[in-house]
Amino acid sequence: MDINIRVAGEAGQGVKTTGSLLVGAFAHMGLHVLASQSYMSRIRGGLNWFDVRVGDRELFGGRESADLLVALTKIAAEVLRGQLAPGGRCVLDSPAGPADIPVAFEQAAREAGGSALMANTVAAGAVFAVLGYAVVGLCAYLREQFAGKGQEIIDKNISCARRGAELVGRQGACIPGPVGSGVPKTVCSGADAVAIGAATAGLRFYTAYPMTPSTAVLTYLAQHAESYGMVVEQAEDEIAAINMACGAAYAGVPAMTGTSGGGFALMVEGVSLAGMLELPVVILVGQRPGPATGMPTRTAQQDLRFILHAGHGEFPRAIFAPGTISQAYELTRRAMETAHRYQTPVFILTDQFLMDLEATVAALDGQARPIDRCIVTGSPDYARYALVEGGVSPRAVPGGESFVVVDSDEHGQDGHLSEDLAVRIAQQDKRMAKLGGLTAEAMAPEYYGPDGAETLLVAWGSTFGPAREAADIVADKGGSAAVLHFAQVWPLNVPAARQRIAGARRIVCVEGNQTAQFASLLREAGLIGDCEHILRYDGMPFTGQEIAARLERAGGRRA
Amino acid sequence: MSVDLARADSKPAWCPGCGNYPILKCLESALEQAGVDRRRLVLVSGIGQAAKLPHYLSRPVNVFNGLHGRAVPAATGIKLANHKLEVVITSGDGDMYGEGGNHLLHAIRRNIGIKAFVHNNQVYGLTKGQASPTSDAGFVTPTQPQGSLSAPFNPLAVAISMNCSFVARSFSGDAAHLTEMMVAALKHTGGFALLDILQPCVTFNRLNTFKWYKDRVRKMDGSHDPHDRAAAMELAMKWGQEIPIGVLFRCERPTFESRLGVLAERALVERCT
Repeated sequence: MDINIRVAGEAGQGVKTTGSLLVGAFAHMGLHVLASQSYMSRIRGGLNWFDVRVGDRELFGGRESADLLVALTKIAAEVLRGQLAPGGRCVLDSPAGPADIPVAFEQAAREAGGSALMANTVAAGAVFAVLGYAVVGLCAYLREQFAGKGQEIIDKNISCARRGAELVGRQGACIPGPVGSGVPKTVCSGADAVAIGAATAGLRFYTAYPMTPSTAVLTYLAQHAESYGMVVEQAEDEIAAINMACGAAYAGVPAMTGTSGGGFALMVEGVSLAGMLELPVVILVGQRPGPATGMPTRTAQQDLRFILHAGHGEFPRAIFAPGTISQAYELTRRAMETAHRYQTPVFILTDQFLMDLEATVAALDGQARPIDRCIVTGSPDYARYALVEGGVSPRAVPGGESFVVVDSDEHGQDGHLSEDLAVRIAQQDKRMAKLGGLTAEAMAPEYYGPDGAETLLVAWGSTFGPAREAADIVADKGGSAAVLHFAQVWPLNVPAARQRIAGARRIVCVEGNQTAQFASLLREAGLIGDCEHILRYDGMPFTGQEIAARLERAGGRRA
Repeated sequence: MSVDLARADSKPAWCPGCGNYPILKCLESALEQAGVDRRRLVLVSGIGQAAKLPHYLSRPVNVFNGLHGRAVPAATGIKLANHKLEVVITSGDGDMYGEGGNHLLHAIRRNIGIKAFVHNNQVYGLTKGQASPTSDAGFVTPTQPQGSLSAPFNPLAVAISMNCSFVARSFSGDAAHLTEMMVAALKHTGGFALLDILQPCVTFNRLNTFKWYKDRVRKMDGSHDPHDRAAAMELAMKWGQEIPIGVLFRCERPTFESRLGVLAERALVERCT
């Protein structure tokens, strides 16, 4: 079982603080937690909410409906009350009906000796009481969380938490929460997983211009740069970022940049440069809805075709699209390895949903395990672009025995510019030969569900979680559905995909865009013909509930 | 069957009489005089005729010939990855002051230890004769038939206003002076160095010819104190009958790389093994 708690209020009011408190405290109790955020593009005001889904089994996506709404403003209650599940309750300052649970958050905080800011702790205490959890669980977490802030802060927060619980009272314990294991779990966000994955893989240089939803990676790495022995630089623009990353990669350090669609548009020429110079540059793209500035704080899977084709000219690339937080960690490492093995740009294509998603995960390995940079010492007569089988010329870096010459113009084996047509063909063929190796080691799509399921949901990137939950809902209702998830969207592992797609009766591609971009890619590869689509492009993430409902509706129509 | 262009692909790809030839020659002797270890030298450039220079040195060096306008960020990445390398940009006025203008400002802000040698011929050569950011107002070209309507960019004044740690100007027609300025820039250890090199374009700039520059450039005498910002600014604003050449400005600021604790013990690239 699981409960979805929606904390809602204005930007700047502590919605996230309250949500994070709950996430931390539940994880501390050994519960499974998954938290997703919905926020507007502003610093103050508006309506933001933070969903904390808590369960006794692993959770993979959010839910449309909430069981408990913690409304920090009147507007929040008015707008979101309609999303309450049957039997759902609302905790708020001024109740509108008998089912509402009144808690005057700020007033209670002051009565308990705290500041108005500690209204967040009051709210968390109230949630504990509604779920029937002993408030000591929250207090234990508060002690840990505020350990560095002094006894006074701890005491005040604890008394605020208790006050919140008291106000709800015994009769308020109306939504029994799932039972935790008692063994604390680790919480991580998608953005932090990318950052930790990169840092432990030996990233030495990260540069970016802030852009939602990729900024959290820049923030994490900037704050941990010293401990990982890394330089993190906020570039003057995205063009500078990608070119700095190219320069750093040339000089021999694992380098990465991150942005979202609009910023990536500025990087495109630099991506082509990395392709031409054969530099191992890793680019994180956190998608949000476009065109143009679009919806800065929302999610989308609209840039697959853009990333796949970005950069003038033809050159090989790989694109990884993690489906879970753990996969974001693993695939960031894999992206760095792939970039270095093939000396070409490699992408981590994700989105606001996964970047901001927080969940309890199996602890990520924080130990440094640097990847192999695949660098040779070279010699004085070294030629950077030697023609070799497979196209991967031995890579030396400047400062040693070799002179390393790289040029964005077409160049000969020595790297110096050449306008010779035969040289051009030889070098272009050499670069593209690397696509063969990249394809040979492309990841097989992951299959979830019973073999021979009636319905096959095809998903890529962050849609994995919601699709998986949809398959479970279908199974619970006596149907049979499976998920085929592509965590690598380029190059495709066609044979492995074909094996899974063949024989499936009903194929439904689930994507966060309007034009079914991934389905068209599968068609290009000859993997599917006509199929059904479940598409979403309102800026909100898919949920299992929604996919299952749409499957049912579409299936009904077909019948 | 492709045409075999190997024999026609002559190098350097510059016009006879181009100011780039003496700049190349001066750079080679300046590297020698400054005692630069070529293995630890990276020449970085963007796109344009000047940007081809790193390909034409008589002895091998490391080269990063990147994108138009993006020499500065590429050089910044290289310097941060390995600050023990000598990173020198040789590129043109379009590349450094036009397409890459924003990067120049931020490199000066950072005061990162890069030397930028800007070949400034006040015209776009490789694209065949359009106005550049430093073209004099009224400069007539096929794409500015009424003459350039924009005021020329003053790189030296901008650099001085931002406390660029080393600001100098020279002329490709005065080999001794140019070499001296390059050596001074190469020996500068205090951060970003900008050397603006006036250079005729024999094909596309019929206004600012070799003679035009020759008649106007004035070597600064020893009386100028490069630490005097106001005096430096006054010299930077001079353009017309007299164009001062020499080291206009110096100022002491910590370098970007010296402020990064991670780089204190060893270069970033040395942390990879």
